[in-house]
Amino acid sequence: MSNILDIRNLTIELETSAGTVKVLDKLSLQLAEGEIHTLVGESGSGKSLLAKAIMGFINPRWKITADRLWWRHYDLLALNPVQRRMITGRDMAMIFQNPGSYLDPNTKLGNQLRETIPQSELKGIYLRRKANRTVRAERLLHRVGIKDAEKVMNSYPHQLSEGVAQKVSIAMAIAHNPKLLIADEPTTAMEPNTRNQIYRLLAKLSASQGMSILMITQDLTSVIPESQRMSLVYCGQLMETGPTEKIMTEPFHPYTDAMLQMSFFNKELVPKTRLPTLTGAIPTLQHMPIGCRLGPRCPKSRRACIHQPRLSKVKQHQFACHFPLIEVETHD
Amino acid sequence: MTDLLEVRNISKYYSYKNGWLTPQRVCALEPISFSVKRGETIAIMGETGSGKSTIAKLISGAEVPSSGEIFLNGELLDPNNHQQRCREIRMIFQDSLRSLNPQLTIGKQLLESLLFNTKWSAAEQQEHVYVTLQKVGLLPDHFDFYPHMLSSGQQQRVCIARAIILEPQIIVADEAFAALDPSIRAQIINLILDLQEDMGISFIFASHSPEIVKHVADKILIMHRGKMIEFDSTQALLTNPKQQLTKMLLQSEQLNKALKHTTTQE
Repeated sequence: MSNILDIRNLTIELETSAGTVKVLDKLSLQLAEGEIHTLVGESGSGKSLLAKAIMGFINPRWKITADRLWWRHYDLLALNPVQRRMITGRDMAMIFQNPGSYLDPNTKLGNQLRETIPQSELKGIYLRRKANRTVRAERLLHRVGIKDAEKVMNSYPHQLSEGVAQKVSIAMAIAHNPKLLIADEPTTAMEPNTRNQIYRLLAKLSASQGMSILMITQDLTSVIPESQRMSLVYCGQLMETGPTEKIMTEPFHPYTDAMLQMSFFNKELVPKTRLPTLTGAIPTLQHMPIGCRLGPRCPKSRRACIHQPRLSKVKQHQFACHFPLIEVETHD
Repeated sequence: MTDLLEVRNISKYYSYKNGWLTPQRVCALEPISFSVKRGETIAIMGETGSGKSTIAKLISGAEVPSSGEIFLNGELLDPNNHQQRCREIRMIFQDSLRSLNPQLTIGKQLLESLLFNTKWSAAEQQEHVYVTLQKVGLLPDHFDFYPHMLSSGQQQRVCIARAIILEPQIIVADEAFAALDPSIRAQIINLILDLQEDMGISFIFASHSPEIVKHVADKILIMHRGKMIEFDSTQALLTNPKQQLTKMLLQSEQLNKALKHTTTQE
């Protein structure tokens, strides 16, 4: 299987009052066709920045460097903005958290949805095209599991529940059959039932249309079983990446292990006992530790951790730690 | 042993005008009764709009019930006696930054509740704030900080400090864990468990997360459309749920089913 998205050592630097800060520090990510990849990171880990860098929502003040930022056979960093927008518009789509707040509150959802259907896919003369547009919009809503399409098309975002609004935004995202869908915390603050519906829908879309999905979440509990691979990011540094099942069962990195324990995956955990946790708080942008940024909070940190560890590779499983939980022979 | 808190047939209706002379009533909570023992933790679960937050608001006195009474230690709580209510029952909210006053320092916000509810001298009050800050894992130095200068975890700690500063008997939390990062959330849960052990506080919280509920709660109250459909100990509900909804709400996330996870030992 070939990678359609290939990111090697992506670094994003920001100018702050405390000098230049690397918000993303040498992040690598590969995404194969039709694959669901979950990116897990706490707040401030730069996971949304990564999504923005892929989509090209770039603030001119950011300094982006990468050994490789390739989408299929295009080098995204070498393209000019016009070409880049064309490729992004054709192949990628993104959904966000809080759908109710980013849909246009003044426009009926039907109009917003009709707008997203590309002109090139409609045939016929003016009136026929217009009618086709509505038919296609309805079909899109059916595809995301909304039965009463007409009612939804005639309502404003505030009149719908969060789950339905998120489904509409997914419909808008898949209107032009993108190859890559980036879901940036699509279900934060939703109740479990709605959340499961959204996840099931995304998994189904990926399976039926071969769409790759980059799912960005905060929490290990929202990693879905359909996700083949996952990565953990902490403060802009890649901690561990590999097949989901491997990471969940045999983590190499202390951070992954801590996250697993904090997410109640430990079955032997006795109720009412203290939860294992990382000490301290997530560092702010101005006070990033040098070397491995988990250092000050890591239970296994030692002197060597002031140098950033390189990625070690065990089969498909990669991690960046000097003192992994399972001893391995490193080849480099 | 008498129950610490007893809720008897409490209900809440909201009325609004619908056109000309036709007042409409919406039932947010149908009459429910339950009781809480000292040091016990009760979780309220349910879908959106099921009346979880209404219960929390009624117990903490933020809203006046349409009918029914609340007894604390066998004594009737007057809905209009705010001083008694806020000394014994305190509340924590979901969004910590928005529930703190951005214009006051942390210390001043904590002092406020002492100012209105105790007859201590200024020095005693200040000392008590320092002690409380240390109890929740902050430093006395945080007295002069403004809320925006703290991280989200520290802000939530301040909210907890504000809740325990009057040494209440009951703390009510409405989705206090939902918006926190996993590592911070675990710290806050530990903090609440510690405080509960030290001070014998009863804790009533509304939550979506089945994992947290299973870990923290002694009893679970399941709400559906303003009705209480089940109320039993966590163990009983986990092993033998009577309602389909209970089963659904307590079911862990999908991944738990898909993966037989065993955490690695070092």
